[in-house]
Amino acid sequence: MSVTHQSNTEGSLPLPGRTDSVILGRQGYAFVLLRLIGMEMYKIRRRIMSKVLVSIAIIIAILVFLLFSLNTFFVLNAPPESFTQPCPQSSGPAQGQSQPNCPPPSAAQVAQLREGALRSASEPLRLPNSLSIAVQIALSAGTILIIILIGSSAGGEFSIGTVRQMYTRGPTRLQFLLAKVGIAALCAAIGILTMSITGILTGQALNALSSIPQGFAFLSAGWIAHALLYLLIAMLDWFIYATIAIFFGTLGRSTVAGIVGALTWLFVEPILGSILKLVGTFSQGPFGNFLKAIPDYFIGNNTGALLQNQGQYIFGGSGSSLSNLHALVVLAVYLAAFIGLSWWINEHRDVTN
Amino acid sequence: MLQENIEASFQSNVIISTSRLTKAFGRLVAVNDLHLQVMRGDVFGFLGPNGSGKTTTIRMLLGLIRPTAGRAVIFGMDTTQQMPSILPRIGAIVETPVFYPYLSGADNLRVIGAASGMVSGKANQRRIDEVLELVELHAQAKMAYRKYSLGMKQRLGIAAALLTDPELVLLDEPTNGLDPAGMFEIRQLIHRLTSLGKTIFLSSHLLNEVQQVCNRVAILQKGNLIKQGNVLELLRGSEQVLIKLNTLEEIQQAKIILEEAKQQGAHWISAVHVQTDRQGVSTLRVDTPKSHSAEINALLAHNNLFAAELHPYEGSLEEVFLQLTTQSLSSGMRQGMAALAGGSSAIQQTGSIYGVERFGNGKGGI
Repeated sequence: MSVTHQSNTEGSLPLPGRTDSVILGRQGYAFVLLRLIGMEMYKIRRRIMSKVLVSIAIIIAILVFLLFSLNTFFVLNAPPESFTQPCPQSSGPAQGQSQPNCPPPSAAQVAQLREGALRSASEPLRLPNSLSIAVQIALSAGTILIIILIGSSAGGEFSIGTVRQMYTRGPTRLQFLLAKVGIAALCAAIGILTMSITGILTGQALNALSSIPQGFAFLSAGWIAHALLYLLIAMLDWFIYATIAIFFGTLGRSTVAGIVGALTWLFVEPILGSILKLVGTFSQGPFGNFLKAIPDYFIGNNTGALLQNQGQYIFGGSGSSLSNLHALVVLAVYLAAFIGLSWWINEHRDVTN
Repeated sequence: MLQENIEASFQSNVIISTSRLTKAFGRLVAVNDLHLQVMRGDVFGFLGPNGSGKTTTIRMLLGLIRPTAGRAVIFGMDTTQQMPSILPRIGAIVETPVFYPYLSGADNLRVIGAASGMVSGKANQRRIDEVLELVELHAQAKMAYRKYSLGMKQRLGIAAALLTDPELVLLDEPTNGLDPAGMFEIRQLIHRLTSLGKTIFLSSHLLNEVQQVCNRVAILQKGNLIKQGNVLELLRGSEQVLIKLNTLEEIQQAKIILEEAKQQGAHWISAVHVQTDRQGVSTLRVDTPKSHSAEINALLAHNNLFAAELHPYEGSLEEVFLQLTTQSLSSGMRQGMAALAGGSSAIQQTGSIYGVERFGNGKGGI
């Protein structure tokens, strides 16, 4: 074997100039990260799958409000008799004969009863209830969509093999991971806003059928603040499931792992929670209490608690038994665990085929 | 002082230096104790049969995998410590390059550019057009990557590697999937890059192509470096003088004369072989620098043997490669290979490319 000379140079060699046509951006950590998030956004925007998922989200939001509007439609087309209150049963005259104690309602009364029924039926189409419904739609069907979107974005880098291309371009693996986390947060925010606004606007449009105007008596600075917090919590819920998809996508190095892992978590958690509550109830004693307390540390229960705690200011009702602090700490631990584990796996993994 | 200056100048020109670089996957040692040195402006050929550790080495140089032991220094910076400073100065293709199938070629380059520190958006459109032009993909710039042929994918990989105008280009089988015209273009491109002062690190199976573009090579086998050096120097060791005489008896006689001359002090003769090709034509092959052709002719003429043909043979990298890589193979395997190549002399005689590719997987390369 020919002799080789061992390099002792530790100072970096000077960087020669590049061609004028290469325009480099600022190379600070945050600038690189922002550029990577922009790159991720560009990739998501250009994917057909993203467009399909957004379309599905919008269609679902519209469809659900259309379903709610059916009730209004039925009330609008119901005959006047259906608004008369049934007479109390008594040993009066035979069937078919008029009851002297139950006179037929006047036209004004029928109109009043009809308006009451219409107001009640169309309530979900108007704010503030429409906000609750729109967010609930987002948190059920929408969560599946964000999991598919982010799971395929994170796991797809491994499935397709582009991770080799990305990891040899300069930014650190942590920056690439943070870009994925960043895009997950951005998609969660955009998605929740899109679904909520679509739902609210659809509700308002359909509410026009009822001719009952949208009142704004509920509107106050406090209400707006709580409504914004409510939306932020919904975004947080999506973001957590998106980070689960990133974690499983990274762990399993595939799109399928990312999507299936997060969906499994999403569906198994409430089932497991119900089982634990049930077993805890039957077991009784300290062990039973322990089992019943476990679901208090589940993601769904804690995001649900946060939503309920804000919902009481927006829609009325009571708050959750779990405090905001408890829920926030639990969710923060989950986020730190999923992002931290994804980082650890990324850092210590050899990127082969 | 002068010695220090020479040393400093030498060090400043070392682009890649590895020292005891080792990678083991469990009990399998993929790369063992590798010492490499690539100088500024080199077109460095990295050769070896399939599974010899070439791609593993490239992956270690790019930080995709971590060495089990040893270190690699690129641009004077340790790869385990300063990879973020090293990578922006490198353009690389690792195995078959892969891009986002739903994006067009130009959009993929835009994404790669953003990941490489280039300004996002349309600012770098001119550079993207330049590299697409360079690899002759400008006509398919807007076509979705999933519709690209293998050759087009490979060319897009080269375009991506050159996008930031890096000073070091690592190419792992860059002509994989390219037709002969495409290979020729890549060879021209490498020459052009070298003239621009770029350093090229080229891993390949196609030794004839490597011989045409590389000035230095390293040959790897089973994870071990078995040879590293200047291509011309390596080839010098495989130079021969081929002699044809009128009869087989004359050939045998000439062989004895030359072997005696070697014993009597003609050390420039390394070995003398008689080889018979498939047509039954025998040739005397003398392992010696071609500059000794005239002396051999004179020696034979002095003994009343007059060559019908005598010509120097420069040898090829393939022969050097085969000679080096088959040394450690078992004799049984060697015989099997020789039989496949058409007799034990066929490999030696022709340095058949087919013999070489039997080590590999038939992948192309420069």
